[in-house]
Amino acid sequence: MDELELLKKHWKQEDAQYPHVSANDIYKMILKRSSSIVKWIFIISLLEFALWTGLTFFLKDSKNAQHFDKMDSDYLIIPLTVIGYVILAYFFYLFYKNFRRISVTDSAKVLMENIIRTRKTVKNYVLFNLIFMVVSTMVIMYIEFDQDQALIRKTQAAAANGDIFMFYAKTILIVAGVLAVFAGVLLFFYWLIYGLLLRKLNRNYKELRKLEM
Amino acid sequence: MNKELEHNFVALLEEHQNIVHKVCRLYTNHREAHNDLFQEVTIQLWKAYPKFRGDAKFSTWMYRVALNTAITLYRKSKRTVNTYELETFQFKIKAEEYDDTEEQQLKLLYQAVHQLNDIEKALVFLYLEEKDYREISETLGISEVNARVKMNRIKNKLKTILNP
Repeated sequence: MDELELLKKHWKQEDAQYPHVSANDIYKMILKRSSSIVKWIFIISLLEFALWTGLTFFLKDSKNAQHFDKMDSDYLIIPLTVIGYVILAYFFYLFYKNFRRISVTDSAKVLMENIIRTRKTVKNYVLFNLIFMVVSTMVIMYIEFDQDQALIRKTQAAAANGDIFMFYAKTILIVAGVLAVFAGVLLFFYWLIYGLLLRKLNRNYKELRKLEM
Repeated sequence: MNKELEHNFVALLEEHQNIVHKVCRLYTNHREAHNDLFQEVTIQLWKAYPKFRGDAKFSTWMYRVALNTAITLYRKSKRTVNTYELETFQFKIKAEEYDDTEEQQLKLLYQAVHQLNDIEKALVFLYLEEKDYREISETLGISEVNARVKMNRIKNKLKTILNP
């Protein structure tokens, strides 16, 4: 006999052997909280939005930024800020729309695709933010070195003393340190999402895709 | 959520709970994990219930939610290795009904099924529940032809596991 046929024969007979969960127990169960990955993805995604948006605010309000505001740079800062908000609103709308689309009654493949799409939105937002930050930092550095009298004096003094190498080395080290912190935070979220939550989903999604090839 | 909705849901689930048990049976390997998955499936069913229109059978609707929870939403399933222990509540074969060889064969068969991946288990589950390929393909989101091909491969795979 085919192996599965043997299993099928017994499959139906097993019904009576499962423990009966009473109506009362079911009432208790539906009061409990879900621990599904969708819930965690939602929470972590909100954290990511809050973190990267908060970081932009923090950088904007820091002493350096205030000092920077005094310089003639409104023509740049205002459009950059507006673009930042518009992009945030756009990504958040996309994220919410995709999240709402996740339904446990879809087919397995569609469900997985919708979860992946939701995650992709957040990933793109973080990616955008990083690029935005790098570009902003470069623009700010350029303006600082170009317009900030104190900095220009420092550079000139360092050059005169023959310390110009040390001066640049310090600057590069500081920038590298800040970048390392960002990279660390980014990797942490990456590990949380793709290492812990989405590993199983990705594996199963690949398996389904393989069937369709 | 009103009381009537809750009442209807609990009554329906109590009646059809074996579907959930059977999914848990395939995707977990001990009682604690079984209960844990049962609980999560129940929560997912309850969350989706207000949108259940009754145009499908409750049981058919349950298959989807239960499998989706096991395959995609449920997180803690790392312990499905070969250490499948046949717990009394899960698998009792009365000695007088079956001979020893069949019992032994069945035990090995369950162990083999546990070695399949999540998607393969889903196919096996729907097959054992006597769902046709149309329903299998719709539940998983693959084509009917591919569901058939995969099912044949699974049968061969089981053969290989059982007769190495």
